[in-house]
Parts: sequence; C-alpha cells; structure tokens
Amino acid sequence: MARDRLPVVLERYEAVIGLEVHTELTTLNSKMFCGCPVEFGGEPNTRVCPVCLGLPGALPVPNEAAVEATVLAGLALNCEIAPFSQFHRKQYFYPDMPKDYQISQYDLPFCGLGHLDIEVDGDGAKQRVDLGAEPYATRIGVTRIHLEEDTGKMIHVGGVEGRIAGADHSLVDFNRAGTPLMELVSEPDIRTPEEARRFAQKLRLILLNLGVSDCSMEEGSMRVDGNISIRLRGETELGTKTEIKNMNSFKALHDALAFEIVRQADVLDEGGRIVQETRHWDVTAKRTSTLRSKEQAHDYRYFPEPDMVPFEFTPEWIDAIRVRLPELPDARRERFVRDFGLSPSDARSLSEDVEFSAYFEEAVALAGNSLAKPLANWALGDLSAYLNAGPVALADAKVTPAMLAELVEIIDDGTISGKQAKQVFAEMAESGDAPGAIIELKGMKQVSDTDAIEAAVDRVIAANPDEVASYRAGKTTLIGWFVGQVMREMRGQGNPALVNETLVRKLG
Amino acid sequence: MSFDVSTLSARAIRDGIAARTFSAAEVVDATYARIDAVEGAVHAFNELTPELAREAAGRIDAMVAAGEPLPPLAGVPTGFKDNMNLVGTHTTCSSKILEGFKSPYDCTAVRRLLNAGALPIGKCNMDEFAFGSSTENSAFGPTHNPWDLERVPGGSSGGSAASVSAGMVAVSLGSDTGGSIRQPGALTGTVAMKPTYGRVSRYGVVAFASSLDQIGPFARSVEDAALVLNAISGHDDMDATSVREPVPDFTATLGDGVKGLRIGVVRDMLELEGCAAEVRSATEASVKLLEGLCAEVGDVDLPMSQHGLAAYYIIGPAEASSNLARFDGIRYGHRVAEPSDVLDLYMRSRAEGFGPESIRRIMLGTYALSAGYYDAYYGTAQKTRTLITREFEAAFERFDVLITPTSPTVAFKIGERAEDPLAMYLSDVYTIPLNLAGLPGVSIPCAKCGTSGLPIGVQVIGKHFDEATMLQVAAALEGALALDMTPPAFPLHRRSS
Repeated sequence: MARDRLPVVLERYEAVIGLEVHTELTTLNSKMFCGCPVEFGGEPNTRVCPVCLGLPGALPVPNEAAVEATVLAGLALNCEIAPFSQFHRKQYFYPDMPKDYQISQYDLPFCGLGHLDIEVDGDGAKQRVDLGAEPYATRIGVTRIHLEEDTGKMIHVGGVEGRIAGADHSLVDFNRAGTPLMELVSEPDIRTPEEARRFAQKLRLILLNLGVSDCSMEEGSMRVDGNISIRLRGETELGTKTEIKNMNSFKALHDALAFEIVRQADVLDEGGRIVQETRHWDVTAKRTSTLRSKEQAHDYRYFPEPDMVPFEFTPEWIDAIRVRLPELPDARRERFVRDFGLSPSDARSLSEDVEFSAYFEEAVALAGNSLAKPLANWALGDLSAYLNAGPVALADAKVTPAMLAELVEIIDDGTISGKQAKQVFAEMAESGDAPGAIIELKGMKQVSDTDAIEAAVDRVIAANPDEVASYRAGKTTLIGWFVGQVMREMRGQGNPALVNETLVRKLG
Repeated sequence: MSFDVSTLSARAIRDGIAARTFSAAEVVDATYARIDAVEGAVHAFNELTPELAREAAGRIDAMVAAGEPLPPLAGVPTGFKDNMNLVGTHTTCSSKILEGFKSPYDCTAVRRLLNAGALPIGKCNMDEFAFGSSTENSAFGPTHNPWDLERVPGGSSGGSAASVSAGMVAVSLGSDTGGSIRQPGALTGTVAMKPTYGRVSRYGVVAFASSLDQIGPFARSVEDAALVLNAISGHDDMDATSVREPVPDFTATLGDGVKGLRIGVVRDMLELEGCAAEVRSATEASVKLLEGLCAEVGDVDLPMSQHGLAAYYIIGPAEASSNLARFDGIRYGHRVAEPSDVLDLYMRSRAEGFGPESIRRIMLGTYALSAGYYDAYYGTAQKTRTLITREFEAAFERFDVLITPTSPTVAFKIGERAEDPLAMYLSDVYTIPLNLAGLPGVSIPCAKCGTSGLPIGVQVIGKHFDEATMLQVAAALEGALALDMTPPAFPLHRRSS
C-alpha cells in the first residue's frame, strides 16, 4: 500500500503541492450571469434560460452578489483585492459548455496574493520528517481567487460507471451551467498530503463561516484538484508535476496525493521520468491513472470579455465588504480560550461551525461565563452525540440554548446529579420540555439534606457488616459499592458527593 | 381610402391612423401588396410575418376604436434584420447553420419598437452573421439595390436598407459593427444611423463583435429615424454594456438649425485615395450648404483613424470567432447526419453550416487570439483603438460634429467585389473608426451621382451620447437638400437574369 510506504519515500523525497479549489457559490439566489436559481439536482434542463443556455443573442450580466462573495473570501484569506479587474473568455469546445467558451478570469482576477495559516498535529505531523514530527503551524500562500461560471453536466450512456470510455451516446444537463464558481489557486507551498488536507479543511470552514457555499465535496460544490511534483531532499529545482482530479473527499485528497508521491518516487527510482499529465483518482482501486496528457498545452485564446465592462473597486467599496467579514474560526477559538477558559481543543471543536458556536455562545450568555466549561462539555458531549446519531439538525433540535443553560445551572446548584442530568437531557431532546419541568414531573430532585443522607448511610452500614469489616480491614475500593447501595436506598436522588463524604467519614 | 404606403413617413402613417384616414389593418394590406409587387425583384426579406403584423394592427385599431392615445409608431410597417430575435419567427442570420432556429425570447430593441406600436412586417436579408458590405454573403441569395437591381444594396444590413428604399416598410432596424447600417444607407439613399455604443441594448441581436455592435434605424427621413431611436434607446438590465444615460426626445431639436454649430470636415479622409470624385464633391457640396446655413465650418485631420480598418479586421474577427463558437450543432441549428464522435460533429456541422466569409473571419480571429500572436495582433489593435478614440475626443474639443463621406463609392455591381475581400473591406473605411471609438454616426443621402444617378451618402458624426446634435445637423442638411430619394422607374426595373 502506497500509504504505508509514504514515510519511507518522504525520507528521501520532498513533495511540492499546490491546490486548485473550485467552490460553487451555492448560497446565492441566482446564477453567475442570469436569474436562474442555484440548486443541486432537479429535473435535467429545467433551471435554464436563454443566457445560461447560450442562445443566440443572449448576454451575460454579472451577479454582483457573487463578485462580493469572492471579494469577501479574498479578504478572509488576506488577499490583495485588485482595484481593476475583469472577466476573460476561456475558449475551448465541449458539449457541456453552452457558448463553447467559459467566462472566467485571466490576468486580472478579483483577488491576488494572500495566505492561510494551518496547524498540523498528531500522526499527520510525522509526514514532515524535516520538522521532527512535532505539531507545527505553517503558512500556505494563496496565489489568487477568481470567479467564473460552472459548466453543465454530461451524462454518458452505455459505458462503464457513467464514464465516457465505451459510452454509446451522451446527454447534457445544463442546470448547473452558469453557477457561480469561485476558484482559489494556492502557492506550491504544501509539502505533505496532510498539509493539503488541513488546508482544504480549513478553507472549507472559512467559506462555510462566510456563508458563501455549502462546500459539499460529495455533491461537488467544493472540488479540489492537486498539482504535485517531487524532488530529492536538498534539491531546489522543481520536478515535473502531474495534476490529480476526482478527489471527492478530504480522505481522497490525502490518499491520492500520498499515492502519487509514492508512484512518482517509484518512477524516478527506476530511472524513468514523470510525464506532465492529468491523472484521475480511482477511490475504489486506490490509485491514480492517466486521464489526459498535458504535454501539448491547450491554447485557450483568452481575451477580455467584451460583453461586460471591467470592474473598478474603490477602497471605500472594499472597506464596505470588509465590514461584512464575520468572526472566523481561528479568532473565535482564541476568544473562547481567553474569555471562557476552555481548553484549546474544546475551543476549536466549538468554534468551527457557525451555528454550533452561536448556539454555544447563546447558552453561555444565559448561564454566565463561569458555567462555560460545563456547557462546553454538554455541547461537545451529549448534544453532539445526539446530533450525530439522529436525523435532527441543530436548527431543528428541541433542546434550545436556554434549556441547556438551565440544565447546567440546575446541576451546578446541586439540585440534580450529573447522572440524573443525562436522563433529563434525553427527556428534553425527546419532548422539548424545559429541564425544570422534567425534574418536577419525575421527582428527580437530588437530596442534599444531610440528615436524610446520614440516615440512609447508617441503614446501609447496619445491613452489611461483612463489607464494613472488609473496608475497615483495608479494602477501600469497596467505597464505590457502598455509594451504589446508598443511592439505591435513596432511589437515586442522593447527592453523590455528599453520600461519598458521609460514607468515608462513618466507615473510617 | 387610397394612400401610398410606400412613400408615407412613419409619422404620417401614425397620424393617418389616429385621424381614421386609414386603419392599421389597411396599412398592413397595402404593405403586403407593395411587397408582392417589388419583393420578387429586390429580395429584401428572409421571412414575412403577416400574421404577427395583422395581430399588431388589430391591437392598434382597437385602440383607435376605444379612443385611446396611440403610441408614437402606431401602425408603422417595420422590418427587422434577421439577426434579431422575435418570438414566432426564425432567426437565421442568413446562415444555414441556424437552420430551423426559432428564438424563445425577443430582442430588447425589437420588443421596444413593437411596444411603441410598430407592425412587424418581416425579417430582412443580410450578409451571413453580418460579415460583409454587399448582402451577397447570404445563404438565401443576395438582395438587390432598388436603384439598380444589378447592384448591391450594401451591407451587411442590405435587406433592411432595401426594404425601406423600395417602399416596402417605412422604417427598419439594422445592426452596425463596422458600417453595416450606414454604408447600405448611403448605397440605397436612406437615412441610416448607428447610435453611440451602449445607447441601445444588444440583448437578443446575434452578436458579431460585442464591443462594436450597435442596433440602429433605417428610415426615409431624419425625423423617422429619430422616432425609432426614441423608441429603442435606454438602459436594459439584460445588457451589461447598455448605459444609464438619460434619453432625450431626439425629434425635439431637429428643427433647430445649424447656426453657430461647429462642423469639422475630416479633410484627410475626404482626400483618401479610393474615394470617388463624385463622392468627394457631393460631400464638399453638403459642407458648403451647411456653411450657407451659418454653421462654423473647419477642417480636421484624423490620421490615426486611417489605421481603423486594420484594427477592425483584428478586433472584429477576434470577437466574432468567439461569439460564433456556440454554433456547434449541439443544441440548435444545423447538425451533420451520423457524426462519428463529438469532434466530427463539431467540425462537419460547422464546415457545412458556415459560408466562406464566416469561415474566413473565424479563422482570422482565431489566429489573432492564438498564443504567441495575441500581443502583436489583438493587443496592438486595442492600442490603436484607444488612440483613435483619443483622436476623436481631441477633434470634438474643437467641433460639435464631424463630416465624412459614408462610403467611398456608390453601389457596385453584384459580383464585382465578391472575389476580392480587401476591396470589399475598403467599403467601410469611413464608418469603421466610429465603431472603434463607440461614436454615433448617421448617413443621409446628399446627392445622386451625375453619371449613374445612384445615391451618395454623407456621414455626420456626433459626440458620445450626443445623437441629438448629430441628427439636428442631418435634419438641417436634409431640409436644405430637399432630395427626392424614390428610386427611379421602380418597380418597372426588373432583374435582368
């Protein structure tokens, strides 16, 4: 397996990886150059109009919201925003492209140089043999972000697995044609498959936080291609690169790049040379294979799109977009650590998702910062488990932030035990009733009355002389058994801390 | 009620209907009777639309019956160049490759004209995809000049020009990328104007060169042209290059005369080799007339504009090669039978569907945009274009309008230049610089050639978005010339072959 050989290969070779990430701006109301809706799927050729079908005489009118979303992404990735930019036509013939040119950007993209800082820890850090396998942070340059239109989809009929080879004929669905597509190109700063994965994951989180896309790799609204070459460690010249496509998950991205590094190393070790080409990741066979040769570069005959006027962004306009930048996950994580005293790993888990972090913050606002830690435990524990297990999304969950805050407050004031609280949570999730009401209804109040506890402890000690003798003889591990007996005596409502304390005192 | 629809102005037709002198339905009948009489000789139309015309006339007559006020072009018979979409008609661009194509949507300019009450009479013949200056490059055969059926009407909007000249419609729409309205206007003795780039929406006109194309009117008078311009101008959300400039009433200032207006005669253009002597003298005579009307006349040279033709034949084909890529046989139009694969489908459908001039332009443009040639050709052409624009801007600091001939020669014989593309391209030497600079221009008839009797046109050039002053000068000249531009002995003249 290529993955297993990767560490050995990386001892000798360094990989140089750049990513191209295409993201459909799925949250917009309309396509890039017309008013058709942007949605996944649908009956073929129903979300189309003269413009996105490229009918004779139809003209593109740029979707301003898409331009703004791209600039917003650029600002989030620390990019320079171009004061002057424009669309170009990229020309080639293909049936999924109604005009036989794609409106894209060439030498004047909306966003220029920027960067994204990533952190690598755990096993992934070991891939950087040059850094000694310690957790590390590194900065990946962003070359540019530009905007273009997506193509339609080809459906090949009669071949194997819907691929074109061997197909009898092809159908075209133009529903996707004209969907706003944002393309990010990274600098070749990535050195390991793990860094590539972290970069793509973090980019996805940021774009989700910006609300510009649903970033679904499965449905193709986020597509990552990789350019990869290898060279002997210490070498400064770049090797010949290949481009890898069809990496439809973060795991696929990692594994395909890992495979390709090993494959290229094998070719070089056998005295061969790398062919510049596009390769296809086959997720079932776990290997890349030649898709098409790139030795003869395509001449796309780019020229400025004459159906539109160039864009001139004033500093004021850019600032107005900048104001719309939401807090991004990194900043939120730091704030959670600073203000709530959370551990960095809890803070990260809570800060990544926009809705989840908002939920958490709303609960903290109600319960107070002093209860942030137990709230974090509940959010990452029972709440996450509940959301992960079932079909219910956070927005539809019956447990509201106010209910979670109330639950944590009730635990804090000792009214119920943590064990009881788990039952209350399950009940809340089921019925949507407030925790106070549930506790009332079920008679679940925790007993902290010392007289009642002392009486129960006395009864248990009197009823179990053998165990008491053993305990006093040194078998102190029996304390758990005694607590269980007392709790049973009290029908589960005793305050466990008080029960424990009383037992230790009386047995001792 | 007897009336001669072939000579009435648009305004007279509308007023006649409003006064109940005749009905819109009678205008339709008279129009198709006239077409029956002369279209066989002229071939101005690719498609006639009597059902649409009668439907529109019915609406006008109902308004008359109801006593409602009529829109400005109510009941005016109108022709549309066959590169403009109109639901219920074919859009052929006079090309086989658009075989069977019927648009599901309307061209904005066409829709606006119909909303102003115009009657859609038919779709006019043209050079294939507007590539040409003679309307000989049509898959459906050439259009004949009503003044001499053996001659071309100019092009590419030759059908639109001939239909107005021959009295088949009162007004028509053409499109002008390098002179395709103004040059046929000059050759057929009609008033023909190209508005400022961005004044009229291009939505729904099949693109030739997006940065140069502009829709404009043909008419038998400056006033009628102004009425059409009123109707079709203004911003359109569907065209990102259409502007939000205010649209004045272009007829309001037509009678204001030229007293005190500064008129620049483009001297070096007038003295260009290849400009026929009678064209030069007719232009000079027009200038003298304007001077007599108390205009301030001076000379100006536009040396950079002489490179316009070269720049145009890079930019025009470059954009065209891209705009015509979509005619690939996949979604509409001509598709080859039994393609072996998709490449074969593309190549043979296009080879069969496009005529020779279209193929020539596509190849020119593809070459000009190719890696390694882009800077030398397209880049240089764009720089030249900027210089031409600046040169005009400088001239317009001294003058309110500029004057040149429209076409260096009168109408030439069918077939005469068909084998010589360069001679054909020279037909547009005076008109092309305006498209490159985005300026408005109008051609009006200024003389009949002393030897042939054929019409000669003069071009008045306005500042960006100042069509009003340009039309004001044209109207003054038209009034002073008082020419009768009815083609002689027509329709007795018959095609000889």
